[in-house]
Amino acid sequence: MNLEILNMAGSALTSNKTRTALSALGVVIGVSTVILVVGIGLGAEQKVEQQFKNLSANSLIIMSEMGHDAIGSSKLGIEDVDLVKNASMVKTATAMLGGNVSAAYGKESASKRVIGGTAEIFPISNLNIGAGRAFTDEESADRANVAVLGWQVANDLFGDGNENDSVGKTITLKNKKFEVIGVLEKNGSGMPMLSPDDSVYVPILTAEKALFGSTGMFVINAQITDVKLVDVATYEITTMLRKAHNIRKGRADDFQIRDAGSMVAAATGAAAMMTNLLISVAAIVLLVSGIGIMNVMFVTVTERTREIGIIKAIGGRQKDILTQFLLEAIILSITGGVLGIIIGFSAIPLLNQMEGWYVMPSLKGALLGFIFSGFVGIFFGFYPALRASRLDPVDALRGE
Amino acid sequence: MPDFPIIQTQNICKSFYLEGGQEIPVLRGVDLEVQKGEFVALMGDSGGGKSTLLNVIGCLHPATFGSYFLDGEDIGHISDDYTLAFIRNRKIGFIFQSFNLLHKLSALKNVALPGIYHGMPKEEREQKASQLLIDMGLFDHAEHRPTKLSGGQQQRVAIARALINDPQIILADEPTGALDSHTGEEIMKIFMKLKSKGKTILMVTHSPSAAHYADRIIFMRDGRIIDQNYKIPK
Repeated sequence: MNLEILNMAGSALTSNKTRTALSALGVVIGVSTVILVVGIGLGAEQKVEQQFKNLSANSLIIMSEMGHDAIGSSKLGIEDVDLVKNASMVKTATAMLGGNVSAAYGKESASKRVIGGTAEIFPISNLNIGAGRAFTDEESADRANVAVLGWQVANDLFGDGNENDSVGKTITLKNKKFEVIGVLEKNGSGMPMLSPDDSVYVPILTAEKALFGSTGMFVINAQITDVKLVDVATYEITTMLRKAHNIRKGRADDFQIRDAGSMVAAATGAAAMMTNLLISVAAIVLLVSGIGIMNVMFVTVTERTREIGIIKAIGGRQKDILTQFLLEAIILSITGGVLGIIIGFSAIPLLNQMEGWYVMPSLKGALLGFIFSGFVGIFFGFYPALRASRLDPVDALRGE
Repeated sequence: MPDFPIIQTQNICKSFYLEGGQEIPVLRGVDLEVQKGEFVALMGDSGGGKSTLLNVIGCLHPATFGSYFLDGEDIGHISDDYTLAFIRNRKIGFIFQSFNLLHKLSALKNVALPGIYHGMPKEEREQKASQLLIDMGLFDHAEHRPTKLSGGQQQRVAIARALINDPQIILADEPTGALDSHTGEEIMKIFMKLKSKGKTILMVTHSPSAAHYADRIIFMRDGRIIDQNYKIPK
């Protein structure tokens, strides 16, 4: 019985193909938007996750205050690392001085990010040596020209797959010779250009003397003893640094301290907010497409008034007519939904080919799109269907 | 023969209401009895209430006042859609002046349509519909859409549709009104056949030649029956 009515609903839709296609188009666009939007949101969240993979939760990042008009001498420097290390809640601290220089081996050369650090930089940043070794404290103190290459850098300079052959070879950084003493394991995280894979690690004093002078970006990474002590440790370090830098009461700090936890939280929060914003946009698109379906259904009911009258005269119940018109709306929107899912998923690989895009396909997006489209059909189809079912049979038979 | 009429109305009144609440009385107390197997024609002035009476009897809309017995059962007070649809589906077959076929469906599907709402399985429904189209001499047109058929053929499809659920009563609203006189005669001959098979027929008509076939003519004016056994003046 219901199968017959489903059949009738289907043939009513196929009898006016252009209109059916146009009214389903709104849902197609809405649902593919949902798929893409959820994919973009999830992609952004994953990007953030990767970006902070090398940051322990109990890290404090101390860096110079950008654009601060502090008096020349009072600036964050290598001497501050020992100061921070002596703070009671700090387990260990390392400094990083980074910037981009040209790296070359033979004919291969490329601009690479170079990070100067102490020997602790590798454990603190969760980096493992794949071949060779890390630099020692003596090499750091001696300002030796030694380098540990990120996995991608070694591949770029020595050819794909030859990363371990680089140990013992001599490369040039900013035209100065450096001995490669180690290569990192592939890390695979982060955005291109900022990943450890794409970085070269040298002793911090070497970086200061041979590569950057005072021009590089200087950062102290302090590991505190307990994540719960973030606020107290921040206060302690702030007090110590203000004293060391002779900053008078009432004047602003010439450095800033950020904790890894809140940096991750802020970035994740921003990504989640973007996802929600995009989903609301998609919801509006679906709402508009739903109103389109409702409009079409009203037109259909008006056009078929006489048909409704005939069906009532030969014994069709209100329930039968309601079912038929509701089914028409639902078939319309769900067909649109399925098409939208197909189009959305086909667009994802195309978008990912574009620079800077990362869209993640997900079941969540598909389910959300499908449920939305079904809901649109039921919600916006119900009122026109109800109106159709409640038409007076005599009036309907008289109608055109 | 049972001792009660198949259709019996007592003091049926039906009014329509304008938007301002103003009452327009259309039926002003109709007492009508139709016996089982009888072929009755309803004649009268335009606007006299013939079609409205037919619609009340056909359960298409309820009377404002009065009682209506169908096959001995008082159904004048029934207002639930389920029961009224059931009566229209099983007990009554409608035939209209403008045929009222669904243009998107073939002749066969049109005839079979009331079977869907009866809950008849597809095979039984289409077999019955084919047989009815054969009886109407339209078997060759079973797969044609109504728009491909002449007026007389369309009306015969409509008659077949009215018969598919084997109702006791046929209600016809000017069945020959849109047809030429020759085709009208053919339709009336089919009605005579239906009568011979025991169907009760109530037919609204303006045409004296159609009314001529009926056992009895009822004449209405201003919402009342003024003659239960009207003779057409020569």
